[in-house]
Amino acid sequence: MQTARLAFRNLSRQKRRSFLLGGAIAFGVMIVTLIDGFAGAFVDNVSENFSNLLAGHVFVEGVEKSPKGRDLDIIRDDAALREAAEAAGIEAKYVSRRSALQGSLKFAGRTASLAVQGVDFAAESFLAERLALASGSLDNLPRDGIVIPEPIADKLGVETGDRLLVTTRTYSGQQNVGEFAVAAVIKDPGILGSISAYATRDYVNELLDLAPDEYQALSFYLPSLSGMDEAGDRLHAEVSSRLQTFEREAPGAEGENPILAMMRGEDEETWTGVKYRVTTLNDALAQVQQIVDVLETASLVILLVLFLIIMVGITNTFRIIMYERIREIGTMRAVGMQRGQVRGLFLWEALFLALGGAVAGLAAASLVMLGVGLIDFGLDSPLFIILKNGHMSFRLDWASVALKVAIVAFLTLAAAFLPARSAAKLDPAVALRTAV
Amino acid sequence: MKRVMISVLAALSVAMAGAQDFKAMLREIDSLGDFGGQDFSATYTIVSEKPGQKPETVQVRVYRRDEREQFVFLFLKPERQKGQGYLKVDDNVWFYDPESGEFAKSTIKESVQDSEARNSDLSRMSYADDYDIEKSSEGKLGAYDVWILELVSKDSEVSWQRVRLYVRKDKPLVLKEEDFSVSGRLMRTVSFPPSYISAGGKQIPSRILIVDEINSGEKSQLTLSDVAVGRLPDDTFTESFLKRAR
Repeated sequence: MQTARLAFRNLSRQKRRSFLLGGAIAFGVMIVTLIDGFAGAFVDNVSENFSNLLAGHVFVEGVEKSPKGRDLDIIRDDAALREAAEAAGIEAKYVSRRSALQGSLKFAGRTASLAVQGVDFAAESFLAERLALASGSLDNLPRDGIVIPEPIADKLGVETGDRLLVTTRTYSGQQNVGEFAVAAVIKDPGILGSISAYATRDYVNELLDLAPDEYQALSFYLPSLSGMDEAGDRLHAEVSSRLQTFEREAPGAEGENPILAMMRGEDEETWTGVKYRVTTLNDALAQVQQIVDVLETASLVILLVLFLIIMVGITNTFRIIMYERIREIGTMRAVGMQRGQVRGLFLWEALFLALGGAVAGLAAASLVMLGVGLIDFGLDSPLFIILKNGHMSFRLDWASVALKVAIVAFLTLAAAFLPARSAAKLDPAVALRTAV
Repeated sequence: MKRVMISVLAALSVAMAGAQDFKAMLREIDSLGDFGGQDFSATYTIVSEKPGQKPETVQVRVYRRDEREQFVFLFLKPERQKGQGYLKVDDNVWFYDPESGEFAKSTIKESVQDSEARNSDLSRMSYADDYDIEKSSEGKLGAYDVWILELVSKDSEVSWQRVRLYVRKDKPLVLKEEDFSVSGRLMRTVSFPPSYISAGGKQIPSRILIVDEINSGEKSQLTLSDVAVGRLPDDTFTESFLKRAR
């Protein structure tokens, strides 16, 4: 214990040097913590924003094989699905039934391609709260009304009240034309602008050649992100016991999105009637998790590279310390200090340096996170999808932080070990004779 | 008396129209693209015009083996798309990009490089198999007396739910085709000017003009050349053919 106290006092003898070494460690810890914090919140924010856009966390889609072997997206009757959801204990905040068309909007010789979500606005009242209106209104939306994002409105040069032509295909692939009246323009939802136009399901169904009570996707918006996969599994089991379903886990190529793998498998299958696909937001965002995995690996690699550089500095500094204190070491050895105690003195010093640096790094990272989190990027930011209500957010996994602090401590101790051993091996007589 | 004569002539005309076997006429029209089990190849040059833009030219070499429902489209122009192609194997249509060397699953309904033409215009389709005749009447198109046939698709999987054909009365040759959306709106007009190429004992229109009725001023002209009917090497309808074709 006395050795530790002595080591702590030694650190404060050369304040500038300790500050620089600790600062280097703190910088490394800060960078890694920021990356970890960003990666932690990335999944949550992307999932949250996507669940708002896709109106759910657990999805059921119906696929019918046409006589010519094409896969047609349609849910004709959802009585059995509703029963299955109840049996699976799906407690959703909202349930939505949507159809969607991919079309080209045309106005005064200009064209813009986008997906239009067919929404039952009365049932999806929560949607109105989430759309940031730039102009127009969602109240009393006419049957052929459309809500389009600002960039699309700018591209077409339209304002609320204008009428647009839309060319699209029916659910079975036939050409169709319709007209929309621009009811509202919403602020730029960033990279998802091309999938965020909304119209009444009634009219989208007419353009898709679906009956008014038919639709294409049933979505359940759960109270929280956690447990969505379990809910998806339970729902899949219940739907499977009543209707034809696709397997939840489709064998796909490495890195392939599970939903795309599932759909590829469907192309090769044949069946009659409607077969159902149960998926979750996590399936759709599997690539997001891959991005997070890459970020986490990158943070570990950055940590190791930074610390290899810092370790060289630590080793050299501890060698200098050893030569500076060589007579002191000789004296201590002469009055009875054991080799292990000398080694311990250096290692304790390195450990204090590592922990001090780590704490300072964590504090600096927290300050940066707090500062960046205060910046309002706005709901129309291109970064929208990774933001939380327009703000950058961070989430730290404390186990991961503890692991990285342990790695920092270990590497610092490893860097100081050789000079510490050399100091311990010094002959007291030789050390006392050495002129510094 | 004059009124009676007109009524009699009208009645005769209706009777004649009724006597006409339009289903057989559609089969005859279909048979113009049927080379009796022989392979077909031709080069289609497609010039597309859009208001305010320079006309764009796309040239595609088409190889067809109808007996096995196979085809290959190979892009010859423009330079940036040279070597790209479509290959139909069994029920799948694949798009090949020589830049990546990869094949991607595609659909026959995609339009050809942003022109008004669709891949289905370059491959074989069947009026008789895909459509029912809903109505027929007589008319005149330019100097030609024509039958006007209103067709309705038998199922919902062909591109156009309704098609109006203008067929020459003297020969079963289509002069004009009007394609309608499900909502009943005219989407495009395809004209077949009466200039033909003879190949394999059949007469094939050498020019096709496609007018986009939705986007005013947008049109494409297809010109047919280098037509050949006869056995093609089997490896024409393989991935390796497209890979080495560039």
